[in-house]
Amino acid sequence: MAPKLRQIQRTGEQAHKEALTYFHLDTFHDRMRTAAAAEWGVAARSLSLAGQGAQLLHVRHLITAGLLWVVLTAVGELLVVADLYPTVGSHEAQDFDDIFRFLLLLGVPVMTFVFAVLIYAGLQFRIRTAVPTEDGPAMRGQGWFPRAWLAVTGGLAIFVMIYPGLTGLAELQQGDKGASGWGDQEAEVTIKATAFKWQWLFEYPDGTQVSVAAGKELVLPNETSIKFEVNAADVVHSLWIPAFRMKIDAMPGRTTYMTVKPNKLGEFASDQAYRVQCTELCGLDHATMMFPVRVVEPQEFESWLASLNEGGN
Amino acid sequence: MHALKSVAGAAGLGMIGFYLGLGFVAVLRAMLGYPDAWGGEINIVGGYVFGLVGWLMGIGMWGIWIREWFGLKTYQRRAPGWQRYFTFNTDHKVIGIQYLVTFIVVFLLAGLLALGMRLELASSGMQFISHSQYNGAMGLHGILMIAVAVAAVIGGAGNYAVPLMIGADDMAFPRLNALTFWLIPPVAVALLATPFLGGIETGWTAYPPLSTTTNSSQILFDLAIITFGLTSILGGLNFIITIIFMRAPGMTWGRLPIFVWSMFVTSWLAIFFTQGFAVALLMILLDRVAGMAFFSAEAGGDPLLYQHVFWFYSHPAVYIMVLPGFGLALEVISHFSRKPLFAYRYAVGAFLGILGLSGVVWAHHMFTSGMPNYLHGPFLVATELISIPTGLIFLSALGTIWMGKLWLQTPMLFAMAVIFNFACGGVTGIFLADVPTDIHLHDTYFVVAHFHYTIVGGEIFALFAGIYYWFPKMTGRMYNETLAKLHFWWMFIGFNLTFFTMHLPGVKGMNRRVADFPESLDNLNMLVSISGWLLGLSFLVFMYNMINAWIRGPVAEANPWRARTLEWQTTSPPPHENFPEQPVIKGHPYDYGVPGSVHGVFPNSGLAGAPSGSAGGGGQ
Repeated sequence: MAPKLRQIQRTGEQAHKEALTYFHLDTFHDRMRTAAAAEWGVAARSLSLAGQGAQLLHVRHLITAGLLWVVLTAVGELLVVADLYPTVGSHEAQDFDDIFRFLLLLGVPVMTFVFAVLIYAGLQFRIRTAVPTEDGPAMRGQGWFPRAWLAVTGGLAIFVMIYPGLTGLAELQQGDKGASGWGDQEAEVTIKATAFKWQWLFEYPDGTQVSVAAGKELVLPNETSIKFEVNAADVVHSLWIPAFRMKIDAMPGRTTYMTVKPNKLGEFASDQAYRVQCTELCGLDHATMMFPVRVVEPQEFESWLASLNEGGN
Repeated sequence: MHALKSVAGAAGLGMIGFYLGLGFVAVLRAMLGYPDAWGGEINIVGGYVFGLVGWLMGIGMWGIWIREWFGLKTYQRRAPGWQRYFTFNTDHKVIGIQYLVTFIVVFLLAGLLALGMRLELASSGMQFISHSQYNGAMGLHGILMIAVAVAAVIGGAGNYAVPLMIGADDMAFPRLNALTFWLIPPVAVALLATPFLGGIETGWTAYPPLSTTTNSSQILFDLAIITFGLTSILGGLNFIITIIFMRAPGMTWGRLPIFVWSMFVTSWLAIFFTQGFAVALLMILLDRVAGMAFFSAEAGGDPLLYQHVFWFYSHPAVYIMVLPGFGLALEVISHFSRKPLFAYRYAVGAFLGILGLSGVVWAHHMFTSGMPNYLHGPFLVATELISIPTGLIFLSALGTIWMGKLWLQTPMLFAMAVIFNFACGGVTGIFLADVPTDIHLHDTYFVVAHFHYTIVGGEIFALFAGIYYWFPKMTGRMYNETLAKLHFWWMFIGFNLTFFTMHLPGVKGMNRRVADFPESLDNLNMLVSISGWLLGLSFLVFMYNMINAWIRGPVAEANPWRARTLEWQTTSPPPHENFPEQPVIKGHPYDYGVPGSVHGVFPNSGLAGAPSGSAGGGGQ
């Protein structure tokens, strides 16, 4: 192995010389520019894009790439109208979907801008020789362009930070700033949720409890604000109902809450978005730590609750 | 066999140390009157610490380093050819290749785990493995890939290229450098041993109280990651000192290659934040073996505390992963576009801006954790702000490509893919930074897709750009370009199919880290699984190409890419001392298209003025 390695190692002057040959690629363009600079006394660098032909070419590239951007954006924006979401089961879910679509609307052109430049450049500016024979123009990006870029990207970032970021947050966090949870702290129905490995226990205001042992489903009244007060008995869990798009962790030693207002009847049996799902890894059976949810009309909710109490709970 | 002697000897000493440690703790426990002297997790801790010391002494630290402390003559084990990769070698080029090869092996192993997971997730219900095995595989996949992401580019490409690119003959602390690599095998052994103690049940995040009550594999996990953190910190320190003090004459900060800049900034991130992870896991360890109850609510502790300390490292960690990836991509893009790096100063500013902001965004991982409501606003703001410096990386990349003379060789394709993928990963990041959307998306497959886009799409693609870019330099041989392009397109398409699709089950209601899911998501998951396997198979092409080229590829030129930076101005592979003489830096590394410009010269070799005609400038 060793002599072979030495053989390919080709140390010494010969390789050094070869290396230095390419230290700077002396190109046709370079020679042109140097000659031009000598003849007209123009700074070589300013020649890179200064010629009127080059300028026109540049503009043509910008327009074509811009068209590609428009086309890609048009295709990408189909994501905004696509149905990507689980059932809208609550007012909060409607808000989420609207904000998600808005961010897609803004995000897609940003993404397609990058795609358009990469694709266009890859197709138009590629060299077709085996090795490069000339250098590109020495554009350094020191002028107004980086500043404009900074202004546009900074503006966009600050825009989404304020809307829908901070404005949406303000709507989600009404009331006590020191509390831990989402939505109103006052609600028409308060349900205590306790997470344990690997199931849930829910307690209604009248003391009725549902779990895998009793009731076997979480029944909620439609168009009623419902506050979950969430606790954990052992490790960290998280309470998530996909149809409501709301989630809050169940943390041992503290009570968190989330308030939702369902706006659509539905049940787990026919729609799996209606489920309480643990979303914080909690050990062995984390994946199956789910509990069926059924949203019913308020009157039906009352009668269901009453029937459960009669059942000996 | 030098290699076998070196590694087997060290492993033997490590084993002896391990049992000594176990026994030592057992004796202590017996003396102190504990009922079960052998049964505690503290025994594993003792065994690991003694075993680690035994391993390091055996691999060469004793001979090359520790003997010095006792006034004894040091010696270095000599091994010829490839066998030197199995010794405590202080040459940064050897260490770089050690890192790269090791972490490619780890990458492929962890990738196999992912393929196993995707097999199980191809449809709902449990088909092949149990929940327990799934959780173990998922945790191991996570932590192994985190290790790859943290160390492969920094340890591999960084170690190999940084001293060459700044015109130094080695790193500032060569022995420390070798130490950082040789701490890795015990980490790998400990992590790979976790399935024998029940498997990692907590994912790589190890949230308590689950991690303080789960099986004993957690102990191995904690010890391994604390050690791994140590290598990160020592490596970072070494890079900082090297880059500050060992630059060639004339290599001002404004002439530093952009990859070196990214490594410099990343190193600061590593030494600022890595101890956060180590401390968090040390606290878990102490909760378990010493009954500290830092995170036990009923004993007055707080589980949320862990999440703050943990993410205080683990968010900056994603920049530790992705900044060198950006640096590498920009480096390759400039050389293969044959244009100066566009807005070089802004790119450097972007790195520094990310360094500054990355320390104040951690709690965006905890928006649904139940932390007090007043914390969400500030972390939302800081997180959105970080997209501004990140946008400057795009400015630099796209500006460089525009009107360039693009030489679409494999390194360039991978570098362009970094920019492509990160555009998607960056935009989906906005959805997670804005609290109103994050509440639903948090801990779903949307997040899984997002971070694979940023880390795999951003960093691992850059890693492959780096591997193909420096392969001729490292091995002195050229890989097969056709196969390499095949690998690129296969991997690129497989990756985008897999992870773009993966956003959808997330939005639709599939949470992450689950062995099973509702059957309404069957179709999407089948699609993700098939694409995932497609992605996985692409690495067969890569492996074949690399191994084949390394053994019998054509001899590579010193500078096959006609690049200007210093590492290409020496032989392939470079001699031990890197350059025939100290290079002197005369200009910017990326001044393509600038007549008469030169990056560096070798003043005394007599050849310095030789490059064709006006392009030389050696005599200036």
